[in-house]
Amino acid sequence: MSQEIIEVTEETTQPGVSRRSFIKGAIAASAAVSSTNYLFRSNGGAVLAQAPAAGAVDRLITVTVNGRSRRVEVPPMETLATTLRYKLGLTGTKIGCDRAECGACTVLVDGTPHYGCSLLTHSVRGREVTTIEGLEAEDGTLHPVQQAVLEEQGFQCAFCMSGFIMNSVALLNENPSPTRKQAAEWLSGNLCRCADYDKILTSVQRAAEITRGA
Amino acid sequence: MKGVIRDVIPQLELFQPNSADDALALLAEHGSDAWVYAGGLDTLDWFKDRVKRPRVVVDLGGIDSMREIRTTADGIEIGAMARLIDVVNHPDIQARFPALALSAKTAASPQIRNQGTLGGNVGQDTRCWYYRDGWTCYRAGGNICYASPPTAMNREHCILGASRCVAVNPSDTAPVLVALDAEMVIRRGRAERVVPAAEFFVGPEIDIERMTALEAGDLLMSIRVPSTWSGARVYFEKVRDRDTWDFALVNVATALRESGGVIQDARVVVNGVAPTPVRLTAVENAIRGQARNEQTANRAGDVSIQGTVALAQNGFKVNLMRNLVRRSIRDEVMNEV
Amino acid sequence: MADYKLLGKNYQTPDLYAKVTGRSRYAEDHRAEGMVFAKLLSSPMPHARVRSINYDAALALPGVVGILTPDDLPDEVDAPNEAALTMEPRYEGEPILAVAAVSEQIASDAIELIDIDLEPLEFVLDPLDSLKPGGPNARSEGNTTIGRELGEIKWTAADLAGLAAGEIPMDAEAAQEWSFGDLEAGFAEADVIVEEHSYNQSTSHQPLESRTTMAYWEDGKLYIYPSVQSTARAVGPMARWAGVEPSNVVLINEFTGGGFGGKISGYVHAQIPILLSKKIGRPVMMRITRREENMIGRGRPGVQARIRLGMRADGRITALDIHGIGDQGPYGRSGDAMNVAGIGSLCYQPLACRMRGTNVYTNTPPRGPQRAPGGVQSMTMLEPIIQKAAKLLGLDQVEVHKINAPEGQARFGPPGLNGEQGNVSSAFAREAIDIGAELFNWEERKERSGQRNGSKVTGVGMTLSAYSAGASGVDGLFVLRPDGRLYIQSGVGNLGTGSAFDTMRAAAEGLDMPWEKCEVAWGDTSRHLPWSCSQGGSSTTHAHTRANWAAVADAKLKMQEIAAQDLGGAPEDYEIGGERVYRRGNRSQGLSFAQIAQRAIDLGGKYDGHELPEDINGMTTASATALAGQGLMGVAKDNYEEGGRRMSFVAGFAEVEVDIETGNIKIVDYAAGSDAGTILHPKTYEGQIFGGAIQGFSVALASKWVYDRQWGLMVAKRFYSNRPPGMLDVPHEAPMKWGNADLPDPFNPLGAKGIGEAAQGAGSGAVANAIADALESLGEGNGDFHRSPVTRDMILTKLEQAPSGHDRLTAHV
Repeated sequence: MSQEIIEVTEETTQPGVSRRSFIKGAIAASAAVSSTNYLFRSNGGAVLAQAPAAGAVDRLITVTVNGRSRRVEVPPMETLATTLRYKLGLTGTKIGCDRAECGACTVLVDGTPHYGCSLLTHSVRGREVTTIEGLEAEDGTLHPVQQAVLEEQGFQCAFCMSGFIMNSVALLNENPSPTRKQAAEWLSGNLCRCADYDKILTSVQRAAEITRGA
Repeated sequence: MKGVIRDVIPQLELFQPNSADDALALLAEHGSDAWVYAGGLDTLDWFKDRVKRPRVVVDLGGIDSMREIRTTADGIEIGAMARLIDVVNHPDIQARFPALALSAKTAASPQIRNQGTLGGNVGQDTRCWYYRDGWTCYRAGGNICYASPPTAMNREHCILGASRCVAVNPSDTAPVLVALDAEMVIRRGRAERVVPAAEFFVGPEIDIERMTALEAGDLLMSIRVPSTWSGARVYFEKVRDRDTWDFALVNVATALRESGGVIQDARVVVNGVAPTPVRLTAVENAIRGQARNEQTANRAGDVSIQGTVALAQNGFKVNLMRNLVRRSIRDEVMNEV
Repeated sequence: MADYKLLGKNYQTPDLYAKVTGRSRYAEDHRAEGMVFAKLLSSPMPHARVRSINYDAALALPGVVGILTPDDLPDEVDAPNEAALTMEPRYEGEPILAVAAVSEQIASDAIELIDIDLEPLEFVLDPLDSLKPGGPNARSEGNTTIGRELGEIKWTAADLAGLAAGEIPMDAEAAQEWSFGDLEAGFAEADVIVEEHSYNQSTSHQPLESRTTMAYWEDGKLYIYPSVQSTARAVGPMARWAGVEPSNVVLINEFTGGGFGGKISGYVHAQIPILLSKKIGRPVMMRITRREENMIGRGRPGVQARIRLGMRADGRITALDIHGIGDQGPYGRSGDAMNVAGIGSLCYQPLACRMRGTNVYTNTPPRGPQRAPGGVQSMTMLEPIIQKAAKLLGLDQVEVHKINAPEGQARFGPPGLNGEQGNVSSAFAREAIDIGAELFNWEERKERSGQRNGSKVTGVGMTLSAYSAGASGVDGLFVLRPDGRLYIQSGVGNLGTGSAFDTMRAAAEGLDMPWEKCEVAWGDTSRHLPWSCSQGGSSTTHAHTRANWAAVADAKLKMQEIAAQDLGGAPEDYEIGGERVYRRGNRSQGLSFAQIAQRAIDLGGKYDGHELPEDINGMTTASATALAGQGLMGVAKDNYEEGGRRMSFVAGFAEVEVDIETGNIKIVDYAAGSDAGTILHPKTYEGQIFGGAIQGFSVALASKWVYDRQWGLMVAKRFYSNRPPGMLDVPHEAPMKWGNADLPDPFNPLGAKGIGEAAQGAGSGAVANAIADALESLGEGNGDFHRSPVTRDMILTKLEQAPSGHDRLTAHV
């Protein structure tokens, strides 16, 4: 397969003026009179997404989430976290910062932890996505990480929990017996504002024990 | 003025080519309207904040060949799309250039290293908080620097190489690549050019609106790390405010070749202090031919800060850079990843 | 500690299964038919007047369904309170209008189509600038509140004469003042007097879940899905913002993603989806972004202070004199600055104390209570000064804290109208210190003070922290049904601190009911919840153990009466246990809980909730009425004796390692000893102890606001620039240690007090002290920062005597 063009929209700015040069022009013009008007904050107002023109429809794509293939309409720049939450009804994945900083949106892509808020859904086609909703076995048996959190009362508000749990699942797949230090390094891309880090690490240790059958 | 919102990516056209040739064709076709999308971390910040809004996005994620890490006759060639985690874990890189693996490991956070690429790490834009928040400064095409006045907040800005703009290069791998005499392989259409890492990074005096030699239509294909410094003593250290997900206040990469306790050759590179990684040739000259000891280290530190100009709030970077250069020569190398 | 079957034991809270499986629904997880999305147009300036707005183009954008402007708000709010939308934004990020559209994409695009003409107004970021003669005011009406009124305070040139830039005149005009004891005599008696300026930075609350809110209307009723700390207490404010009676509000919020004081009983911006959904007739989801949460989501008031402390040779603090300036943001009134001495006078029991202070309005985000308001500032600012005095006298930190520690019903804070200070219900502070010292191994560890390892130097520090730990006077409500199960109603919000459920265990404990047979209803006012305490200030544990214990007493009496009526004898002849009511001495003569629940329904009246106590809150009455007839009802208001203000104590101990070449600070270890009475649930208690400590570490080391002073705009908007701590920034290689005195509070029937507040100051004070201890070992004065957070740049410039780029008290740098 050669290049696949996902979506093509019509030129949205005036003919003959490339958008980028137009923005720059607008900004330069505003900067020139900026001192008291805070015009540096403006985008110039020139660039707006308009309704897609004919032929530029959003694409139906197939994504595989928690073992199920789903056909879903996804605009080109939609993030995986948004698709999961608003198109597939999988609200267990949280959006805490939407800037790849807090980790609340962490999901597994082919088993590897990613920030779901900062991954385009179009880039996970053909890959396996796993979310918190996909951890339970068919018979309702919880994953050892989930079980350990229940036992240790890990986390407080738990808005960060799905992300931490998904990242911990990946950790134990990679290293079934991590030390607390190794676990902390692995999980360091997840923030817990309640700062329940001590109990989270204890939960991971317990999950490792459960995994080992201890 | 128009309303400003820093949320939700505007509608853009996305292309996902499967080959470098196709990507280059798209870049050629769309010129300065096109945005090269690698790991997407730096990119999505810009898009979500609606500060940068190209018409066309060319996602390189589907080009498997650009992710390869190959051992060559003269070193290692790392595809620009190799993920940072692949650089960290690659056995040849760990064995021959452990400081490069370590520097990749100090970048951002584990999830970002699983997605972010080496090409993206060296090509990323500056983190000046004015520029990134959409202030129309020089770098954004305006005619002012908001970070340099005495009332400005510039604790994390530059002490060297300022030219109107005082933003710094944030990359952790960049100083190591410069120290290792790496080369950047760039394609434009069918033409390929090879640029030394030290020349790849571009300061505001050359072009105030970009951080690298890459221009519209260019694609960074790979990074070649020659064997030159393989097996040499290469020290890397990064100082940051938080131990994860934070950019360097200052980082240092020092490569030394010693013989009989005497420094034969050296590369000393710092980042986080200037718009580009800075190779401190004066330091290299000062320590070449000297015994590697505390005295030499101190001398190196003192030489390193010659010519620095602190802004109102970043004077500490001068001390920090001196101390880091000093310990990069004095201290044991700890390149465990 | 008494021998309880449930209390003090670990168990799985009933909300946890939903959380680990991703089924728990937070505000943004709710959906409603026809739901649209709201986006905010916020102020790009620190203070401005909107001259005109033209949103025709936005409204014309296909997919846009409506706009809410300040004109749509019902009433002007009274200064100094804030409105949901405003034509005079007083801080960057203050919402001006909201657009609703069928997608977030379209709503965001529409915001960019709005033309807005703003007239920039005078602004001020640093409270001290506003107090200078001729300095700017953040509000046109003045720069502070004097009493309940807005007013203006400007220091005179004479006040500032002789002071260096940014210094605070001790006796210049202040909006508030209180004192006790003879200050002059106190200083005269002191062997050492330390006088310093100190600054505690403002910090955002930044719960990981922002104040996202969804709302819709149905049959004149408001259905609101917010992210609030209190369930019961948020109904009233939501009703007020909606312009309806509280009975017409259904509030659903089973899971709240953190609050830390920033979402106690709602937030004014909930009015946006409330009114927008009413205006357009469709459900509105207002997702608040991280950037928006950082601006509108409240912050802890920074405090700039001049502090003078006298200490006797034996370590006793003889006098404490503070002039504190609180950074209020543009709205409201906070008690933080005055609380510096309020809490300080509890922890250190100075013989004499004076607190003078002024809250100054600034064009920075609105402030609100944040975990131990004023308490954290007190510990962070006072501790290094006490430590300095102790060092000068050659005294051990632990000994100094013990000699000054409160005990029994210690008095503290401002004298009341009768001239008497208030008192605490109990204080076992010395016990807390001893427990912490032992866990930390203080005697051995303090020998490491100043130890060098290459470029690294070790410091140790400790702190006694205190804060409020309980409210009272709320209601308990539960029903024992004929299925033999106990249905406990909780109006308490669920922030995951555990108290929403831990306190309900008091009902089960009191009735000797197995927890497996209890069900808790929470987080949805359509499930008939009782009046609860306001959930801030660690109120819940104390308040709701009392309330549920009162309901237990009510239920027991009803059971005894029914048993006596059915089986003969007097009510007091009957006991309760093993899910039965039985005749004392003859367990077989009695009724099972299932039977007695049925008998209560048969009898009706007060037994099944058809008659209710008169002193309970109207919300409880309405809920109990709805639940009447389902079984035996326990319902009562907590009328237990107060005994004083409930305060809990945490002694924090920290060891740090400072790299003097890089400024890196590593917290090597932390341990805490506490006095919070009976522990209900050890694991959630531990979460509070260490979660609080870590938030304290970030006050001492990392979190701050940074503002451009020329433009008045925040530059450190991202997590990587305002820096909440991650796992690697705190001790993680081994579990941290904690212990509790386990001495019951005499004014709680179960001895329980809250813990979350005091935990934070323990973390910030201990680390601030440990850093000072490490650096002081390198030379006198090297540890003198008196500013938080202490960041790498400050350490490096201090050690090299290099210029730091700002005065010590400068705000938001």
